Amino acid sequence: MSEFVDLETQDGVRMTWNTFPGTKQEALSCVIPVAAMYTPLKPIPDTPVLPYSPLRCRICRSILNPFSVVDYVAKIWVCPFCFQRNHFPQHYMSISEENLPAELFPQYTTIEYASSPDTGPKMPSVFLFVVDTCLIEEEIMFLKSALSQAIELLPENSLVGLITFGTYVQVHELGFGHMPKSYVFKGSKEITKEQLLEQMCFFAGRPRPNVGVIAGPRDGLSPESIARFLLPASECEFVLNSVLEELPRDPWPVPADQRASRCTSTALSIAASLLGLCVPGSGARIMAFVGGPSTQGSGSIVSKNLSEPIRSHKDLDKGAAALYNKAVKFYEALSKQLVHQGHVLDLFACALDQVGVAELKVVVERTGGIVVLAESFGHSVFKDSLRRIFQSTDYDLGLAFNGVFEVNCSKDVKVQGIIGPCASLEKKGPLCAETVVGQGNTTAWKMCGLDKKTSLCLIFEIARKDGPESISQHTSNQFYFQFLTYYQHSDGQMRLRVTTLSRRWVTGSADVQDLLAGFDQEAAAAVMARLVSLKMEIEVFNNSPDETAYYRMILNRENVANAVVMIQPSLISYSFHSSPEPVLLDVTAIAADRILLLDSYFSVVVFHGASIAQWRNSGYQNQPEHETFAYLLKAPREEADAIMKERFPVPRLVVCDQHGSQARFLLVKLNPSVTYNSNNPPPPGGDILFTDDVSLEVFLDHLQRLAVQ
Amino acid sequence: MESASPFASGPPRQRPSMVPNPTGVVQTPLVGRSMAPSSSVPLTSPFGSALPGFSRPAATPFASRPPPPGAIPQGPIAGNGPRIPGFTAPRTLPPPSVQPAPPSAASSSIRQPTPYASATQDSGLQSYPGSPPSGASVATLPMPFVGPPASQQFGRPPTSQPLFSGPPRSQPPFAGAQYLQRPMAGSTNSQLPLAGLPTSQSPFLGPPTSQPPFTGPPTSQPPRPNTPQPPFAGLPTAQQFGGPSTQTLTGPPISQFVGPPTSQPYAGRSSSPSQMATPSSQPFSMPPTVGTSFGSPVWPSQPGQMVPSLPGNVQAPPRMFGMPPGMPGQPIPPVLPAMGHSALAGPQVSTQSKIDPNQIPRPLPNSSITIFETRQGNQANVPPSATSIFVVKDNGNCSPRLMRCTLNQIPCTGDLLSTSSMPFALMVQPLALPHPSDDPIPVVDFGESGPVRCSRCKSYINAFMRFIDHGRTFVCNLCGFTNETPRDYLCNLGPDGRRRDADERLELCKGTVEFVATREYMVRDPMPAVFFFLIDVSLNAIQTGATAAACSAISQSLADLPDGPRTMVGIATFDCSIHFYNLRRASQQPLMLIVPDIHDVYTPLHTDVVVPLTECRQSVEQLLESIPSLFENNKVSDSAFGAAIKAGFLALKPTGGKLLVFQSVLPSVGIGSLSSREAEGRTNVSAGDKEAHKLLQPADKTLKTMAIEFAEYQVCVDIFITAQTFVDIASISVVPGTTGGQVYYYYPFSALSDPGKLYNDLRWNLSRPQGFEAVMRVRCSQGLQVQEYAGSFCKRIPTDIDLPAIDCEKTIMVTFKHDDKFQENSECAFQCALLYTTVYGERRIRVINLSLPCTSMLTNLFRTADLDTQFACILKQAASSIPMNSLSQVREQITNLCINILHAYRKFCATVSSSGQLILPEALKLLPLYTLALVKSIGLRNDGRFDDRSYWASHVMSLSISLAVPLVYPRMISIHDLTAKENDGSLSSSNIPLSSEHINDDGIYLLENGEDCLIYVGNMVNPDTLQKLFGVTSVDGLPTQLVLQQFDNDFSEKLSVVMNEIRQQRCSYLRLRLCKKGDPSGMHFMSYMVEDKTAGGLSYVEFLVHVHRQIQTKMA
Repeated sequence: MSEFVDLETQDGVRMTWNTFPGTKQEALSCVIPVAAMYTPLKPIPDTPVLPYSPLRCRICRSILNPFSVVDYVAKIWVCPFCFQRNHFPQHYMSISEENLPAELFPQYTTIEYASSPDTGPKMPSVFLFVVDTCLIEEEIMFLKSALSQAIELLPENSLVGLITFGTYVQVHELGFGHMPKSYVFKGSKEITKEQLLEQMCFFAGRPRPNVGVIAGPRDGLSPESIARFLLPASECEFVLNSVLEELPRDPWPVPADQRASRCTSTALSIAASLLGLCVPGSGARIMAFVGGPSTQGSGSIVSKNLSEPIRSHKDLDKGAAALYNKAVKFYEALSKQLVHQGHVLDLFACALDQVGVAELKVVVERTGGIVVLAESFGHSVFKDSLRRIFQSTDYDLGLAFNGVFEVNCSKDVKVQGIIGPCASLEKKGPLCAETVVGQGNTTAWKMCGLDKKTSLCLIFEIARKDGPESISQHTSNQFYFQFLTYYQHSDGQMRLRVTTLSRRWVTGSADVQDLLAGFDQEAAAAVMARLVSLKMEIEVFNNSPDETAYYRMILNRENVANAVVMIQPSLISYSFHSSPEPVLLDVTAIAADRILLLDSYFSVVVFHGASIAQWRNSGYQNQPEHETFAYLLKAPREEADAIMKERFPVPRLVVCDQHGSQARFLLVKLNPSVTYNSNNPPPPGGDILFTDDVSLEVFLDHLQRLAVQ
Repeated sequence: MESASPFASGPPRQRPSMVPNPTGVVQTPLVGRSMAPSSSVPLTSPFGSALPGFSRPAATPFASRPPPPGAIPQGPIAGNGPRIPGFTAPRTLPPPSVQPAPPSAASSSIRQPTPYASATQDSGLQSYPGSPPSGASVATLPMPFVGPPASQQFGRPPTSQPLFSGPPRSQPPFAGAQYLQRPMAGSTNSQLPLAGLPTSQSPFLGPPTSQPPFTGPPTSQPPRPNTPQPPFAGLPTAQQFGGPSTQTLTGPPISQFVGPPTSQPYAGRSSSPSQMATPSSQPFSMPPTVGTSFGSPVWPSQPGQMVPSLPGNVQAPPRMFGMPPGMPGQPIPPVLPAMGHSALAGPQVSTQSKIDPNQIPRPLPNSSITIFETRQGNQANVPPSATSIFVVKDNGNCSPRLMRCTLNQIPCTGDLLSTSSMPFALMVQPLALPHPSDDPIPVVDFGESGPVRCSRCKSYINAFMRFIDHGRTFVCNLCGFTNETPRDYLCNLGPDGRRRDADERLELCKGTVEFVATREYMVRDPMPAVFFFLIDVSLNAIQTGATAAACSAISQSLADLPDGPRTMVGIATFDCSIHFYNLRRASQQPLMLIVPDIHDVYTPLHTDVVVPLTECRQSVEQLLESIPSLFENNKVSDSAFGAAIKAGFLALKPTGGKLLVFQSVLPSVGIGSLSSREAEGRTNVSAGDKEAHKLLQPADKTLKTMAIEFAEYQVCVDIFITAQTFVDIASISVVPGTTGGQVYYYYPFSALSDPGKLYNDLRWNLSRPQGFEAVMRVRCSQGLQVQEYAGSFCKRIPTDIDLPAIDCEKTIMVTFKHDDKFQENSECAFQCALLYTTVYGERRIRVINLSLPCTSMLTNLFRTADLDTQFACILKQAASSIPMNSLSQVREQITNLCINILHAYRKFCATVSSSGQLILPEALKLLPLYTLALVKSIGLRNDGRFDDRSYWASHVMSLSISLAVPLVYPRMISIHDLTAKENDGSLSSSNIPLSSEHINDDGIYLLENGEDCLIYVGNMVNPDTLQKLFGVTSVDGLPTQLVLQQFDNDFSEKLSVVMNEIRQQRCSYLRLRLCKKGDPSGMHFMSYMVEDKTAGGLSYVEFLVHVHRQIQTKMA
């Protein structure tokens, strides 16, 4: 296992099979598909950033890499993918075995190229806040304070814009110095980019170009007209703060039997169009803060009438959610628009109710946006997560923009698609498999937003037919992958990360052991989780559609380790008897003198056994003679903090005691091996679960029986 | 006509007598200007009528005399009576006595002084006023019109004539005659006192001749002293007498005209001093007596401009009126050089040439004040001219300011009406400003039960409802239904058949009352006073200074909005989008909210767009101050006018209110956008002339549809257009025209000279007496039905008109048609009920009653015809038809109407006259002049800009009678000799005919039509005068954009006084424009000289000839 982790450390890649089944048939019989989990921006220590442009193969455009065969004398390199021989250009003439460019160093299978100043300007990143005002006073206060903190943390050079919405959408013209000013759009009406161009007076006093797409300064918009709405954080901080400070609740009255009139979809559409006009192709995020269900506009999820409940999975299943399909259709169109523009939608949904995450999922996921679901804008899950986005620390998200991901691989390996936060660019080629999974039928994907942890799941297909001869055609059993990630770094620079991998084929039963040795169980679990959630959109229970969508979006962007935690939470026991150790995720793990630390990804639970809690309540930890107890108490908390620091969205931390009400956060995750009606009594100090669910043991028995039959 | 019992008989014949002259070709008519009185010129009938006139008491208020006994209707007694029985029949008017005095002196100047002598004899004529006393004069002239027989009052005179005829001496030819007559009258009655009066007479000179006749007829005065007289004056008299006139005609006639007469007129009547006392100027001055609280408009001056301080004015007025300084004697300039002798030449025989243009009928100013009692002796009095100054005593009929009819006797049948060709309509100006001394309009509160109403036709209780059966039931005067008297409204009848409490219950003795409305009359609480200002901030508006002017005007006007917590204001600006402002925010700084969707408009906020003025005044002021700078770099040249008013409407929708829009360019984008079709029309020549009038129609129905919705929610739109180019007023004006608003037009807008008017217009708009969410209905007696309403309102159901707002200036014309006959001695009643909310949120029902006698005699119709009202009616009909018909058609229609009316008179009421005479009914003797002026007015000229014409049409539609006349026939006075006049600048003293012959190169003239004020400077003006008035030493140094400054010299001060007086009188600040000879502006000025011959139009004399010919053709 650790070798897989090492490989991941080097290149950010984990594969279900690190040795490939040699033929299509064999691959099929392996059940678990050949797949790779790739984290394009995974921080890799010592990765060089080359200040020049990469060398590409004339034929397949793949990039010079350590696997290329180089003829130092002839100054020629052979592309490992298409075997094309390429001459080095003039500035590589000094190349020799002793004088290698960094991209040929064997350890730099992952390397980055940065654009030089003359190849591209630094683009400021753009943050467009889209803020719901249909909130109760308390929530508005929370939100305002969170936003003003965020504004302080905005990167110096970034541009900011503000849209608020409720019954109407207000686009604030922050660049108007005389008084607060905003454009107000009707929430119930869709508005196109063209109309927006017209209505926001982008061409005031000047003739508008009569041909071509109009977007951005290059296409005819004056920088001044853009600077009305998007301007450097440093310049508009005062205005922004004063607008936020006076930001009123949506002023339109809401009858007692109705929901507030909230036009989330219209606001997002306007935000998208505004960015599309002003900064097309440049990194920008729409950060939407939504405090309730959308009830107006094309993306509404429920009518205003409170007597109509918000759709459940059951409704979706039965096709009884009339608005759902319309909303999804609308958001699909919006996602296309955003992808086309290269912009991201981040969603911060903070409400006790559903707000429509299920409908919005398509946009967030395709654009690689961040999603945070919390109960309130006052909740730490929201507040801390928001802060994490802008805080620059070791744990920052390393937000990058406007990425394009491309795959290149050797013959006989094809790509079915990617499951993860990206969108197909529909660049078809011989590499595309006929079977499509997720975003497929392409060899290039748009990743409007990505960060250090964003992980893609690539599903491959082995195209080789049976027969040893096919193998023998090749000089070796080695074959290659090259992952290219173009992106706008958070500092505004355009970068290209290249990861080149080599794996080998094995065929025939003789090599089954090789095959097995290359099997990465954790990666397989993560891949299967994504595959299954993709295929089973509907069969869900116990959650609301919003929660389901949320969990899946997170699952689809996390790396293998975190995905595994999501699938099977980790449980660590702290006690006087031993050093911290993982224990079975079972009710029997509970003991009065233990502290349990549960990490279920979305929440982290510190659970004090009854005795521990008693001691703690008696204050023993404060007595010098019980220093060890104090240490015991502190250890799981420190571990929890460590987990929380790294994770995004920031998980909910629950500190609870055995038999306390909050203990449910732990109990719900435990295997019910001991329940109120089981025969075996719990150990002393242990606990029982009040559930009719079957235990893991029963489940496995059942599974075995099925497998054998 | 003859049928008219009273008069009839006599007269007819007489005329014949007059006729004699006819042959004489010439003829000039008697025209003189002044014959004031009686309208009836012509023959027989006329006279008949004329005499009666006396009876009408009303006329002179003060009357010194006692009038009337005779006054009473039939009473042939005519005050003067003595004379001929015939005359006696004075109908109504007893001449008041105001008597203007007979200026004999004056007369003397004129030719025939003698008359007086005779006059005495006649005595009958009290009216001095009508100088024209006896109708006789008239006809003389050959073709030309003769004068207007003094028909009206005199009416009967005819009879007298006979008498006269004999006696009449020829002497009195013109002018003199006039005076004479009065005198005579005076003698009798002693009325002379009035002295000043003469004026009126002067008008026509014609009369002289007639004079002799007069004597007899004297009564003529009837016309009541009030101003009006002048008009009628002269001629009539003469004719009546018949005999005399003849003479005139023949040989001498001509010369007669020449005479001096004219001058006098101006002099103005000094009229009774007493009146003077009264405050005079109506509008402004005084505190409105009336119950309704109307403030008087004040015209604050803009900085740098002349200061018409109102306050001062108020007081001042008295003088004005009063002062008719030495009028009498002064013959003033009129004499003139005989001008257009030749004028007539063309048509008629050479003789014509002899016509003295100075003696043809012209309006005479009259600054005296008369007192008008609306009824006397249970009979309606004929009201004074709408353009004169009078004080109303409400005796059962409403003040004529509020409602007056084109005919003061109602024809019994529709046939009679159509025979007369005269328009039959009511002009209703329900919130008209009272004269400060008018009887106030009482407010009557019936408590919870509300006002008593007829249970069938729902008309309101009024003085003409007849209580019977011991008061237990009452008969509705409108539908005839017998209602049961409500228990708590019971009262016994007195011996006279009236309720004993009739004099205490104001609704039973006053023509106009206001009832306090009960809940039943409200669909919701009375709305607050809400004012929403919409300001154009597009490139053009900013650059021309229009935005700044609007903001400053609004800001200054805030102080004039009604006080109190119920007054709300809102502000929005617009270019190609609409900008609202949230004015109620913690930070005090407004928040600008832009509505960019101009195809589907909405308001961005639920509240706080319209805020209580008291709470947010500071932020409103700050905002107004900052708007010009907020947009100073605005590059948007498009205007979303339609969307903006829609947005403003939405903001006002919950409450209703006034939307005041400041617009500078053609609405080019969004809902209701328009195209520059004027230019398109020009390039498309083929469509050009035939279809040109279509450019006066709205481009499409969008704005109309919107306007109807506005009206439904009680939103009134006023539009201030500060444009440099075509803005398609034809389309835009539909909105104010449908919502009870109006258009103000400043073209081309000048940031230098227009802000003053803009401010004053806005201020008056906001502060003038007005009401909101009004509904109005006019009911009339059975036998008539309302045919149509015309004006500025919205009509959704056939019977009522909706007025989101109604103010003191808006006038609604109501036309009627017969659906049955009236009995000869019955009265026909009209009742206008206006349900409205005052600016202070009180719901009121103003009920205005008018009951007029019915007649089956054409003579009576002509005698009591109300020229000003008829003309206003014709004007409005012309305005409404110019978008539908080609100009030539409209002009022809108007001319034909004039001809038909005169023809009817000629044919049925003056049959005795020679066909060679043009005979004008005294009451309508100015009809040809006004018709000619109308044909040449902006709206009907070929060369007018479409916007100017559309504006003219929209302006006219709700124009009051008193402003309608000057709009078409402006007032011109000379300024260069201001200091020479001793009357302290009273402007009424010296109107100059609108003829270029009266314009001298060394003179400075001021011409105003209630809207614009042109100051014409000749090229030989004394530099000293220029220096004093304008601060420059040469004509070349005069600025093109004039801002009058007051300099520290007598001359300049007098000009200020004059300007202020005019402004007060017109309730308008007037747009000043300087015109220089030899400049395009000079040409512009000359286009107002309606009596001149122009490329496309006849001169006045030619026109008279034309009319006469047409009549002759018809007669043949």
